[in-house]
Amino acid sequence: MFKGFKQQGFSLQYTALIVGSVLLLLFTLLFATASGSVELSIAQVFDALFCTGNCSNSEIEQKIIIDIRLPRILMAMITGAGLAITGAILQSITRNPLADPYLFGISSGSALGAVIVMASISTAAISLTLGALVGGAFSVALMLALAGRSAANIERLILAGVAVSFMLSAFTSLVLYYSKPEVAATLLFWMMGSFANSQWSELSLPAVTVVLGLMLFVFFRRWLAAVQAGEESALTLGIPVAKLRLFILIICSAITAVLVAHVGGIGFVGLMIPHISRFIVGAQIHRILTMCVLLGATFMIWVDVIARSLLQHQVLPVGIVTSAVGSLFFFIILRSRSQKDI
Amino acid sequence: MALSPAVFQADNLIWQVPNKRILDELSFSVAQGEFVGLIGPNGAGKSSLLRCLYRKIIPSSGNVEFQGQPITQYSAKSLAQKIAVVLQEPPSHFELSVMDVISMGLTPHKSLLSFDTQEDRERVIRAAKDVDLEDKLDQLFNNLSGGEKQRAMIARAIVQQPSVLLMDEPTNHLDVRHQLEVLSIAKQLNITVIVSIHDLNLAAAFCNRFILLDKGRIIANGSFDQVLTEQHLLSVFGVKAKIDQHPFHGGPRITFDLGAN
Repeated sequence: MFKGFKQQGFSLQYTALIVGSVLLLLFTLLFATASGSVELSIAQVFDALFCTGNCSNSEIEQKIIIDIRLPRILMAMITGAGLAITGAILQSITRNPLADPYLFGISSGSALGAVIVMASISTAAISLTLGALVGGAFSVALMLALAGRSAANIERLILAGVAVSFMLSAFTSLVLYYSKPEVAATLLFWMMGSFANSQWSELSLPAVTVVLGLMLFVFFRRWLAAVQAGEESALTLGIPVAKLRLFILIICSAITAVLVAHVGGIGFVGLMIPHISRFIVGAQIHRILTMCVLLGATFMIWVDVIARSLLQHQVLPVGIVTSAVGSLFFFIILRSRSQKDI
Repeated sequence: MALSPAVFQADNLIWQVPNKRILDELSFSVAQGEFVGLIGPNGAGKSSLLRCLYRKIIPSSGNVEFQGQPITQYSAKSLAQKIAVVLQEPPSHFELSVMDVISMGLTPHKSLLSFDTQEDRERVIRAAKDVDLEDKLDQLFNNLSGGEKQRAMIARAIVQQPSVLLMDEPTNHLDVRHQLEVLSIAKQLNITVIVSIHDLNLAAAFCNRFILLDKGRIIANGSFDQVLTEQHLLSVFGVKAKIDQHPFHGGPRITFDLGAN
């Protein structure tokens, strides 16, 4: 991917933006690892990560950094990057600036799966994650089946997705309505998103899915760029538009389903980070993707930092903070931009 | 006919949607280097016919041959290397630069993983020069005027290095000067061009062959004198027309009136 930048012609501004974003992400990583209910210094974070011989950290500090904070921060990073690139690609392929990873009812499918697991199978034989994963996959399958042959028509596909979304939400509400109050509370918290339960062992599936998805998006970047300028003209450039779209939709659904299953429904990131990235770097697919990875990851880590430090002894659901912080941020950008245009 | 092989050869081309036959038994051929004007009233089937030629539509029956082979036998990529299309596209929500748009013409010649080389970029810049847009490459495509957009789309087609250029009403919404510019750029390419066009005088100035369509049928096909007769204009468009000599280029000039007398 990085070879592409050089060959796109040297652009000082773009290079500076990328370097700046990378530095911001690195700083965010260190800062987020150091901050929390147990205050640690950035030097201690370095120590915990790279120290081999005599380390200054106590065993408990080491444990906090390695076992509690890092997996959580990495999960936030993967989630932010994954949702942002998925949103960016969905917006391009549907040529709809309002498209986001939850467009096809994946989050409601995952929620239903999780709710059913929690409400009916009290033993932890099947994990909530697995239930959510199956639910998300089910919603995508249902949408494709409903759309049927008209899956080539993007409007119908979106409508089918919206219908599936409402249907599954209704079932989720029904199960919630009849479940015990403490189960309902747990579920609601899960649905609003949280990185609290992240563990090293859970990171691999989201990480692999997001990286594979990113590689596929980069691979198809020429075609995606042409499709975002117009479907019929993309066709005249020899691009199998309908097949490409279906394939990309399935990839996006897979990424979203895996992420939702692990961290719950986190809105805004997939919708707005792509727009912010586009504001900054223009409409070239590989540039948007790079910016989405960096900004999405940075943004999500900050959201998690805010969520666990805003109220003492209490962690706010990430989804609430994302939407609140994000929309504020977006208003500012929108305002400054419209002033520039006039 | 044997001297210049047909670029397109259509036989009994029929395309129908439920309850309606859009294209009705069209047979024609287009030879190398011709500049063909597709004319006819709204809904005559001009766009549909063009769509059959760039394979957006597969006809219900009949054959289209492109350079001696059924058009269905070409891969999408190899067809795109030979046929470039300039369309009326809906505006994009995304802020592509003119450079981005013109560079899309490289797509059929590049494998998915490859990066644009210096040579590719030079080709894009040359094409931009051909259409007089080289100083606007960094601007946003959406901010261009209608004529500039159309020229950028032609530059994209030039980058595609096609042997055939198809254009679907490329002069719509353009002012007089831009209409002339767009068509003369197309003419200067010296490749086979098929263009659907509403302005008959414009068609007369640039095309050396005309195909007149009405209700999905070919009414006339041939030179100006054979196609754009006063009788055809009356029967197909329902206008009274007078054809005389154009004061500038000496070609034909058509003057219309609704009047029935």
